[in-house]
Formats: sequence, C-alpha cells, structure tokens
Amino acid sequence: MLLSIDTSAGTSAALFDGETLLSSIRFDDPFGHAENIAKAIESVLQDAKASVAELSGVAVGIGPAPYTGLRVGIAAAKALAAPLKLDLFGVMVLDAIALTRQEERILVTTDAKRGELFVAGYAKGVRQFGPEVIHPSKVAEMGDYETVSVPADAEMVGAFAIWASNNGIDLKETSAIYLRSPDVTPSPGKRVSG
Amino acid sequence: MEIKVLAEADLAQVMDLERRLFENEAWLEQTMASEISSPHTHYIGAFDGKLLGYAGLKVSGPSYSSDVQTIGVEPELQGSGIGRKLMNELLVVARRRGSEEVFLEVKDGNDSAIGLYQSLGFERIDVRKRYYQPSGEDALVMQLKLRQPVVLGIESTCDETGVGIVRGNRLLANALHSSMDEHAKYGGVVPEVAARAHLEAISPTLDAALAEAGLAYKDIDAVAVANGPGLSGALMVGIGAAKGLALTLDKPIYAVNHLVGHVGADVLERGAVEVPTIALLVSGGHTSLLLVRDLLNDTQLLGETIDDAAGEAFDKVARVLGLPYPGGPQIDRVAADGNPKAIRFPRGLTLPKDMEKHKYNFSFSGLKTAVARHVEKLEDAAEEYSKADVAASFREAVIDVLLTKALWACEEYGVNRLLLGGGVVANARLREEAERRCQEAGIELRIPRFSLCTDNGAMIAALGAQLMMDGREPSGFGFGAESTLPVTVVQSA
Repeated sequence: MLLSIDTSAGTSAALFDGETLLSSIRFDDPFGHAENIAKAIESVLQDAKASVAELSGVAVGIGPAPYTGLRVGIAAAKALAAPLKLDLFGVMVLDAIALTRQEERILVTTDAKRGELFVAGYAKGVRQFGPEVIHPSKVAEMGDYETVSVPADAEMVGAFAIWASNNGIDLKETSAIYLRSPDVTPSPGKRVSG
Repeated sequence: MEIKVLAEADLAQVMDLERRLFENEAWLEQTMASEISSPHTHYIGAFDGKLLGYAGLKVSGPSYSSDVQTIGVEPELQGSGIGRKLMNELLVVARRRGSEEVFLEVKDGNDSAIGLYQSLGFERIDVRKRYYQPSGEDALVMQLKLRQPVVLGIESTCDETGVGIVRGNRLLANALHSSMDEHAKYGGVVPEVAARAHLEAISPTLDAALAEAGLAYKDIDAVAVANGPGLSGALMVGIGAAKGLALTLDKPIYAVNHLVGHVGADVLERGAVEVPTIALLVSGGHTSLLLVRDLLNDTQLLGETIDDAAGEAFDKVARVLGLPYPGGPQIDRVAADGNPKAIRFPRGLTLPKDMEKHKYNFSFSGLKTAVARHVEKLEDAAEEYSKADVAASFREAVIDVLLTKALWACEEYGVNRLLLGGGVVANARLREEAERRCQEAGIELRIPRFSLCTDNGAMIAALGAQLMMDGREPSGFGFGAESTLPVTVVQSA
C-alpha cells in the first residue's frame, strides 16, 4: 500500500492499494499542519482497516508552498519511512495537480502568498516550464494556456506517485521546493547615537 | 490499610516492631532515624490505625541501582500480603528513580521471604557468608532487573537539530546538528533559515543518534519532542518528525517543555534533579530564572528577559566591536586581556524602582545600546580605545546582573541550590564567577556538562523518560507548536 501525505496547502493524507484509493482525509485549516498531520495519517489507516506494517511506500508533496506547514508533511514522511525502510517519493505538487486535468495546455497556479503565485505550464501532460514564482499580472504573458487554480492534496500526490512509478519516473528528490530565499538580508548594523 | 511515607513521628512505632522482629539484630534507633530522614532513601509504612509493617529503599545519587534496606511485617500478619504491597510500592519508586537493578539481602532459610522476592522476579545472585551477627547466619543476595524505557527525544526549538536517546536516566546518545554557520552572515538566528536547516538535518541526525546508541528503531519505547517554547517554524519540523516516528513505530509520544528539559538534563548527570533549586537558563533565545520545587509538578517562572536574551546581547555587542557571530566566544576571547572594571556599564532592572515589578526580570537592550554609544563616541573622536576593556566590562555587566538576581532568588525563596543551563554557560567567566559567588553564599552550584547545557535532544528524551517512569499518560496526536509555552506546562496533552 502507498500512503500519501500533503501539507502544501491544508493537511491531507490518502491510502492507495495499487491504483485504488482506499481512504482519504483533508483538513483545510491552512495553519494546523503540526496538529493535524498524525490525525490525518491515523485516520486513513483506520478507515481502510490497514496498519503501517502493510505500507510499501510513502509519497509526500514537496512544494512549492509558502507555508511553514510544508515542512511538517515532509518531516513526518521521512520519519515514517525510515524505520520501515519504505520507499519515499517526493512529488512536486503542481505536477500532481496537472495530472488531474484533461486539457491540452494548462497553467497550474497556486497561492504563493505575498500577492504572488507559484506556476508551472503543461502541454499534453508534459511540463513546459516552472515551477516558478510570479506576480499575477504575469499570467497573461504566459501564453495560450488554460489556467487551473486549485490547491494540491494527498489524493493528487498519491495518484501522481503511482503514475510516475508506472512510467519509470524517478521521485527520489524529497527536499522542499521553496522557490524563494529566506526573507532576510544581512544588515551592516545601525548607529545608536545621532 | 494505607501505605504512606514514614516520618520522624513514626519512629517509635517502627522501632517497637523492629525490636520485636529482629531482637538482638535490630537496628539502633539513631540508625533508623537517619535512614528515614535521608534524602537518598524512601521509607514507607503500612498503617491501619497503627503500624503493621514498614520497608525502606536506598537510591544513592547518580547510580542505576537501588537497595531494599529493610522490610518488616507484624508477626501475626505475616503471609497476609502486606509485605508484597510494601515491596511493590518500593519497586514503583525504584522504577521512577531510574534504577535498572534492585538488590536485597535475605537470611538464608527464610523461605517465605525468599518465595515472595522470587515471585516478584528477584533472582539469587550471591551469598554473603556469616552476614548476620551475632547469629552468624548467611545472607542470600538477590537481584531484580528493571527495564527502563528507551526514549528518543527530538529538539528543534531554535538553530540546533538535536536527537537524543536515553534509557531511563542513562544517556545513550546525544546527536546534534547546528545551523549556526548559516546564521553567521546575518548576525543572529533567522527563523526561516533555521527551519529549513532542521528539515535537511532531521534524518541524518536521527541516524547519527541511533548509531551512537548502537540501537535500531525497534528498540525505541517512546518518542519525546519539544513543542515549545521556541520558533514556530523550527518547532513544527521536530513535531512532524516525532509524530511520523511515533506512528510508524506504534509507540507513545510525549510533547514536552523545552525549558523544563534544560532543568531536567541534570537527571542524566546525577540521577535526579535535586530540589528545590533555582535554575538560571541563559542562551541566545532565553534568559529565564525558575524556581523548581519538583521537576514534573512544580516549576515556577520567577522572571525572564523583557527584551533581548543574554546570548543575543553578546551577538549584538560583538557586532558593535566588529567581531563575528556567534558573539559569546568572541567576546570571551577578546575580554580575556581586558579590565572588567574599566567602564561601568548599566545593570538593567536592578534599581530600587524596578524591584516591585522586575526584581527577577532581565533587560539587556539598554546595556547593548550603552556599549554602542560608548564605542561610537570614541570612534567619532578618532580615539584609540581598548576593545578588550569594552568586552570585559560588558561581559562583567551581563554576568553581574544574571548572578545577582539568581542569588537574590536563592535568598528570598530559601533555596540553597543553583542550576545553570543554556549555551551561555559556555562562558568561562560566568562559570568562574558563579562558583565564587555561590561558594561565598553557601549555595550548591550545579552545571551539567556543556553538551547537556546547550540545546540538545538528550534533555528532551530524559524529560520524556521521567514522565514515562512517573506513569504519566502519553500526549495525544493533536498537539502543535507552542512558541510561548509557559514553563508551568511540563507536558502538552
């Protein structure tokens, strides 16, 4: 069985047997990742009457995402997978969203906060550019794409990991995708006297 | 029948029973009195209006074993289960105090007692010939092995990713990854940089801790994690990993308080945190003065910094003096050749007007500004000045105010112990001055080894183990990061 986790938007988990979705849950609270992550995982296992011993892999959304919550899912996935030596799959969430769509050419966008968007463009399911972070005014310059703006969740992440493994695509990279540098600049120090 | 801890007032009854039971081998009254009142023993009695039986356990200092010193039951009530109840109670205490082995001696041939001990799991390991005098009878030495819980603790409150493993009170591993170097160019800890570093470091640090302990994941009995106080984004990485581990291992999880963890680190050094104690925790993130009457049940915040932490002040003053981050070791190095009395920098919140509201609070922002003004004035006038004197005088001001307030607290609360913790303890001058002042005031000073003073996972594991050994219920899965978790909350539900 494959457990999938995503904390790139809300907190969600899903459980798959082969390509069959057994159970899934989604907490939309954009801040409660640390609180909800274990409840979500526990819940999908219980709903499917499954145990961690039956898992063969864990898929996790690795961003891009703006919240500190993204890291909660990745940390949990790494810690879940290591003791049982499960396969760990890192899924770029815009790819996962794109896989759910049938349109020929789509521009997947998600909220990057601070008035910006994360975007990636796809033609016939193949990523043409991105992921990158842009101002919304730039969307019009991205060419002839149909815009898809939905948040990712664990169902999409899990489905993508299964599709990728069926198509021989490597998802070993599990580092978080931030696309922005830490919001800080070295300061030379200020004078205190006038 | 109730079992309670014996007090001095029970001595007459205990001696009456002792003499009737053991006759000419009975303890002297003064021996019994000092046993009952010793801080390293636990004596209990079974009462039903009057004393029916008693028993005592000795747990000495930083050891991993304890001894059943004595047990006695009213002759006509022997065989009625009182002895078993007393023994079970002592074993609860032995477990809680971290004992891995319990020893006792029993007279060879006392088959009913030997049978009781065997049924509790004790095994005969040795004989002491002619142990009992004057009868000259032999004693059997029996041993019970207790399995203390193996707890893995995760620390990610600031810039150190720590994973520690303990078995009961025994330190097995203390792996650490610091992102300090990544913060150097910013002159201080940047929360987002720290959180990103935790995520990269968590798996390697878990592996390093297990390797150091020589254990596998399957050997872990519980997971502990610091869920505050600290930087939210950093805390969330540790929490995510801890919950993932607890789920996959199907083991309980304990969400514990980082600051209480600092206090509890001393269990790994001496088997218990001797209480009551004043605790002064000084780091880049905290400057807190605590009154600890009981590690798990009674910790009170007396005061804390109202602006910068002491470690931050060191970092900021280092910058003023053109020294690199982290400032503590740099200031220490430069100050070595300086005169600590060269410049009288202000001692924050120590004036009579501060006593009502801020007697035990700290403020280092004014001190930092005073140092900066002093240096700017000299630099503007293009005057030569001694960096060493500025560094030494600044360091002296910080140390003076920290220790003055800590010793005030010892005096006001009648506590003759002071425990230091936090990264600033690395400062040699702080340790030296703390030793001098404590000795002068007749106060016992405790400073755990440095690797247990800075942020670390072992102290988190140790606090989790303490909670487990005390029989506390584990935390649920719903706790989150509590950046301002009060020190009174030892464990989050």
